[in-house]
Amino acid sequence: MITREEMENIANLSKLYLSEDDFEKMSKEMDGIINFVNQINTLNDQYNLENNSNSNADINKNVLREDEIVDSFPRNEILKNVDGGKDGFFYVKKFM
Amino acid sequence: MCSNSGGIIKKISSSLEKKEFSCTEITEKYIDNINKSDLNAFVNVCEEEALNIAKKIDEKINSGEKLSLLEGIPMSVKDNISTNGIETTCASNILKGYKPIYDATVWSKLKENGAVLLGKTNMDEFAMGSACETSCYGRAKNPHNKDYVTGGSSGGAAASVAGNLSAYSIGSDTGGSVRQPASFCGVVGLKPTYGSVSRYGLIAYGSSLDQIGPIAKTSEDASIVFDCMCGYDSHDSTSAKVDYKNTFEHLNDDIKGFKIGIPNQYYDGIDSEIKSSLEEAMKKYESMGASIEYFDFPEVKSALPVYYILACAEATSNLSRYDGIRYGYRTEKYSDINEMICKTRSRGFGDEVKRRILLGNYVLSSGYYDAYYKKAQSLRSVIINAFDETFSKYDAILTPTSPVSAFEANRKYSSPEEIYLADICTVPVNIAGVPAISLPCGFDSKNLPIGMQLIGPKFSEYKILNLAHQYEVFTQYENNKCLQMGVIL
Repeated sequence: MITREEMENIANLSKLYLSEDDFEKMSKEMDGIINFVNQINTLNDQYNLENNSNSNADINKNVLREDEIVDSFPRNEILKNVDGGKDGFFYVKKFM
Repeated sequence: MCSNSGGIIKKISSSLEKKEFSCTEITEKYIDNINKSDLNAFVNVCEEEALNIAKKIDEKINSGEKLSLLEGIPMSVKDNISTNGIETTCASNILKGYKPIYDATVWSKLKENGAVLLGKTNMDEFAMGSACETSCYGRAKNPHNKDYVTGGSSGGAAASVAGNLSAYSIGSDTGGSVRQPASFCGVVGLKPTYGSVSRYGLIAYGSSLDQIGPIAKTSEDASIVFDCMCGYDSHDSTSAKVDYKNTFEHLNDDIKGFKIGIPNQYYDGIDSEIKSSLEEAMKKYESMGASIEYFDFPEVKSALPVYYILACAEATSNLSRYDGIRYGYRTEKYSDINEMICKTRSRGFGDEVKRRILLGNYVLSSGYYDAYYKKAQSLRSVIINAFDETFSKYDAILTPTSPVSAFEANRKYSSPEEIYLADICTVPVNIAGVPAISLPCGFDSKNLPIGMQLIGPKFSEYKILNLAHQYEVFTQYENNKCLQMGVIL
């Protein structure tokens, strides 16, 4: 069972506000889903994976491009999605 | 080429060249179809832009210039693929009004080849769903029966092709989102090898699983579109630098001697009508000279829990960028930055998206990372290795695309994991990064399409498209009622 405290923690990490009803509904659904994905514990045992956790290492390689200067997007284009922004910046209301 | 090679891309292209109709006329016809349609397949129709491109293509035709195959063909793009200056929302309220300032690589490639974009297609919000019902625009409807779902998440794309609202469409597939709706709507859907089509400009859901693919009337059409879309792109660090085989040239290869494996586990508990339809397809492949062999593939049983852990973990990270600061929706009233972000996200995201973000944060959070995420990654390797081993014995494997045909819309589920089970046949492919195609292989007693899935080793698109095309030719599209519905002018 997922506890109220755990649910509050993950809602906070997710930057989501949950209403009382949501808390109840989502906790119940999360319990079901977690129960479902818990199968991986028996499956891990079945495939004897305890000491094999990094077996993706061969495909997980960093792919880096050459460090060359290339054109980026023009500032005014980027700010079109916030009605032009303010003084060339993204703008949020003062909060401090 | 075979006389009944099928597909509408070549037909439209040849009619344009012979001036049987103009590009403007056929574009107008499609737009008229879209405007009259109640399938809710489109979330944004680009009438003006489409007609402008059509006009330019007509000028080219009139000046006697030769067209490339995709030039002047009216098509559509899923609403999670960035189109410069055209609203791209992932069917989510949080991205309402967002207009990308660049084109996704896949769209710029098609555009350079003269594709006529009719509009953006409906989808499950952020591609999270298997029925196209989590869209903020309401569900898309299945052209075969409007009370039934299209499948998802690329439901609008599949409905648009099946319902003759676009000649072909571009979708994305994280756990089956191209293949399953293609199967439900009786069209062809290709999920290419991970890394073969650039993801640059595809709004990310599960970055290690996502892949863009075509939805089309036939394998030939899918092949033409795939050949244009694939290739290395420096903007996507997971893009593969390999020699891409032209799939179109291999469509008519002889499939005699091909070994097709039938994994027993995919046939457990599936609908009996689907099972018998697949068995018919196996017989047809045998008549064409391929061999059929059943084998055990127990590893696929791990695929669903692995998928939901990894996809949600990746989604949590990818969707953390939606904070209301740089684009899309922002709440109006807030007293501090945290409240602004939380309110924006809580109002902007729908329930299914919230559920997956919460699950992703749960499996990544302190104390659970080792128990879930790490174990899922280990099991992923087991599945990848099992596919590798399978393809040392078989050229391809044949499975149903979905254990059921399209289901009724607005169905009530007892739990979310009940819906997740519908993805059982499609998710192993994304986990392994291999290519797969879904194509129609019959109809059930409710007159709804049944889809079969051919899976091949990495970069074997030319082989599975070849197998699919040969099946279509052999059956002379007898089951493809969508194709018989025909289009146009």
